[in-house]
Amino acid sequence: MADQMMAIAVLLPVAAGFLVLAVRNYYARNVIVIATAIVLIANSILLALRGPFTYTPSGFDWGLLITILDYAILIFYLYVGITLRNWLVLIFALTQILPLAYFEFIMKAHVEVAPAFVVDHLALVMTMVISIIGSLICIFALRYMYDHEHHAGIEKSRQSRFLFWLVLFLGAMNGLVFANNLVWLYFFWEVTTLCSFQLISHDRTKEAIHNAARAVWMNSTGGTAFILAIIYLYATQGGSSALSMQSIIGGGIQSSIAVLPIALLCYTGFTKAAQMPFQSWLLGAMVAPTPVSALLHSSTMVKAGVYLVLRLAPVYAGTYLSVIIAIAGAFTFFAASALAVSQSTGKRVLAYSTIANLGLIIACAGINTPLSIAAAILLIIFHAISKGLLFLCAGTIEHQIWSRDIEDMEGLAAKAPLTTLITGVGILSMFLPPFGMLLGKWIALEAAYMVPLAAIFFVLASTLTIVFWTKWLGRLLQVLPKIERPFEKLSLSYSVPLWTLLIGIFVVGMGIGPIYQNFLRAATNDVVSGNQIIALGLNNLILITPSFMQREILGLFPVWPLYLILIVALLLPLMLIGVKPKELRPVYMCGEQTGGTDTDEWLAEADRKTKFQLGGFYYQGTLGEKRVNPWANAIAILLLVIMLGCGVIAI
Amino acid sequence: MMIKQFLFVLLILVGAPIVGGLLFGIDRKITARMQGRYGPPFIQPFYDFFKLLGKEHIAVSRMQFVWIYGYLVFMIASLVFLVMKSDFLLLVFLLGFAGVCLVLGGFSTKSPYAHFGANRELMQILAYEPVLLLLAIAIYAQNGSFLISEIFRQDKPLLFTLWPLFLAVLYVLTIKMRKSPFDISTCHHGHQEIVKGVTTEYSGPYFALYHLAEWYEIILLLGIISLFWTNPLWVGILIALAAFLLELFIDNITARMTVGWMVRLSWSVGLILGIINIAYIYYTKGVS
Repeated sequence: MADQMMAIAVLLPVAAGFLVLAVRNYYARNVIVIATAIVLIANSILLALRGPFTYTPSGFDWGLLITILDYAILIFYLYVGITLRNWLVLIFALTQILPLAYFEFIMKAHVEVAPAFVVDHLALVMTMVISIIGSLICIFALRYMYDHEHHAGIEKSRQSRFLFWLVLFLGAMNGLVFANNLVWLYFFWEVTTLCSFQLISHDRTKEAIHNAARAVWMNSTGGTAFILAIIYLYATQGGSSALSMQSIIGGGIQSSIAVLPIALLCYTGFTKAAQMPFQSWLLGAMVAPTPVSALLHSSTMVKAGVYLVLRLAPVYAGTYLSVIIAIAGAFTFFAASALAVSQSTGKRVLAYSTIANLGLIIACAGINTPLSIAAAILLIIFHAISKGLLFLCAGTIEHQIWSRDIEDMEGLAAKAPLTTLITGVGILSMFLPPFGMLLGKWIALEAAYMVPLAAIFFVLASTLTIVFWTKWLGRLLQVLPKIERPFEKLSLSYSVPLWTLLIGIFVVGMGIGPIYQNFLRAATNDVVSGNQIIALGLNNLILITPSFMQREILGLFPVWPLYLILIVALLLPLMLIGVKPKELRPVYMCGEQTGGTDTDEWLAEADRKTKFQLGGFYYQGTLGEKRVNPWANAIAILLLVIMLGCGVIAI
Repeated sequence: MMIKQFLFVLLILVGAPIVGGLLFGIDRKITARMQGRYGPPFIQPFYDFFKLLGKEHIAVSRMQFVWIYGYLVFMIASLVFLVMKSDFLLLVFLLGFAGVCLVLGGFSTKSPYAHFGANRELMQILAYEPVLLLLAIAIYAQNGSFLISEIFRQDKPLLFTLWPLFLAVLYVLTIKMRKSPFDISTCHHGHQEIVKGVTTEYSGPYFALYHLAEWYEIILLLGIISLFWTNPLWVGILIALAAFLLELFIDNITARMTVGWMVRLSWSVGLILGIINIAYIYYTKGVS
């Protein structure tokens, strides 16, 4: 059974991708993608029910295939670098291809790692996130790309190509989280970089290609660090056995020598997770069609980066490297949140929020207590759901008002009440109690006392988070719909993923007690072999110190009562009371309105009728990118240098 | 035990607005005397409240009233968390939600005054929220737990070790009570202006709800301040009342400052106080 399920998780998306590429009919393509999505979702659930296992494929020289494909990808980057005359892409392709060749041909490395795939609880959590949320985004993309091309007036459809890379991405991600052999992990890592390049550059505009190239060279620096780590581990730790992830995290290598390669691998994770100073590639990726952003931000790509850092947590536990990772992550959380306040484009706010939350997750890995690891896993799940939903909402909004600007979303509630409602819940779920993201943040803060500096960044960042989300939500909800106005109709391809994710927020949020107890605790234990650190009742989340001797209670998060409060506070008034139209009055404008209640015109100077315009504040002067970026990047680079320095000094 | 606790919570929920309203009556009286006026009777806030309740339900937006209910409910929830001696960090988050509700109430209208008020209220959240969160972390560093019940179990008052944060919390109180120099999003008394910031577009019963929430809020804030001295609790309550009177005094000797000044002051002085405080606790106790 295991081999079939592995094949479905990794190879089915590849096969489906090629099938989609070949089929040019819109409806046939939809059927293929939807079927693949259903199979992937079912498969991931079955995998989770089955529990952990290990697997080594046999009967075919997969290692050789992977090596060939490695070179193919890198040669493609060389080609990209030369044709675009982008020397950074070229240089960092060379810095990968040359060490790789050195590794294979001069060191004559023969890497044989058994088992090749280790599917533990953390990998199962990741594959569920990838398969379920990723598949929903693929379904969303079906209709979105159709609308996208129609609006842009594109004659020759390139939807097949788009869906090919989108579906392929899921397979690569699944392979990445399953892989135990570092060389294979590197291969899947490169495939995700390749997919992201193809997807970001999809629209073929100058900006798209330029930004895609930036994504490639930044991630290629990470790839370079990855190869160097592989070579270093292979050379100093005695061959193949050092390239098994399980033996690395299981303490199978000399930890005093291992700090440098681990620091390099963490650097790789930082590039992919778009941590500062690498945030610009993820921001640049916004030019791509929205499903790409949804996929990159929620379930794939950036999650690979945090996955790697989290997976390595036990190796660097108790070192200075760990503290630096915590501070670097916390700093990104803070700086990205501050930058998000100054953004007026919806997708850029979402992007900065992603970068910030990834920083939080990485900081949790760096804090490196069982509690913080649990927080990191919770945050990965909740962030994937909420951010996936929000990007899909952003895409839906974009196809209703054909703008990404938050100011243009003013009064969206009147034009598209359903979309606004879903977006509103999505935004609330990002930063307020009782939703999962705040639960994760709460646990993270409770765990953060280990690294006081990180705790202070957490405090500042979570306050800034409130500011930018509230501003956006305020814009959306400004003008409220007429009561008679029915909900707008959305295409099934839009509404099914939206509703599924929306329900997912509540189901996972309210059921987090049992979910943690039955599933996530095992994942936490797979990362750190900790004791039972978090006791969860059915409706209470109680944190208990690791030591079993003293069961001191750290904190209390009553999940169900909090949901009850939310319902009483917002849902009941909305449903029960409702304002009747005759009670609506115009706002206070000294009587200068020109019409009745619904008017948005008033008499300006010389009694000229003027449209009423309200706007949010964006604090460009204090928090704008131009002002903040030099400082933030300088500090982030300094932290990176210290991080790698930790590795060098430790030798 | 459960029933006793339930009754106690109920008692607080009923009693808090009464005491809170009275406190605001005292506030108005003392402020008037400081300014050489006679001032309204102590129970004037209740007169105002019932007068507002009796009026017609008028709104300028269909969503406005939802947010004012949210403001009230989350304020009450925070108070319940305090009374039940639950998690302090979560209490701060709930209080934050209440603040967000008020801001969204302002944003939900198409009114320039409410908008200005809401934007400023948001900046006020930005100014005070970090201080409260730092307080939570300091309490953790001191007690090894975020639970308020743990604070009650300690013999040594928090004030001895957390006095820098106590000073920071005092100006959070000024911001939250909407007193000068921080009466920025809306002011507690009508100073020069009659159109009042974020609350401009609330009228009648909805405005009464806003007042009710404020009464709960003052009790909540004074309750948080009294946590600095919990054994015996009456000392803490006295400290809280002294802080309350101090606010009235500050209100009358200062003038309103700008939003930017408030945020800068809070993020510099408040944070430095908090950081020094936490660093000191870590220094004396060590990171476990």
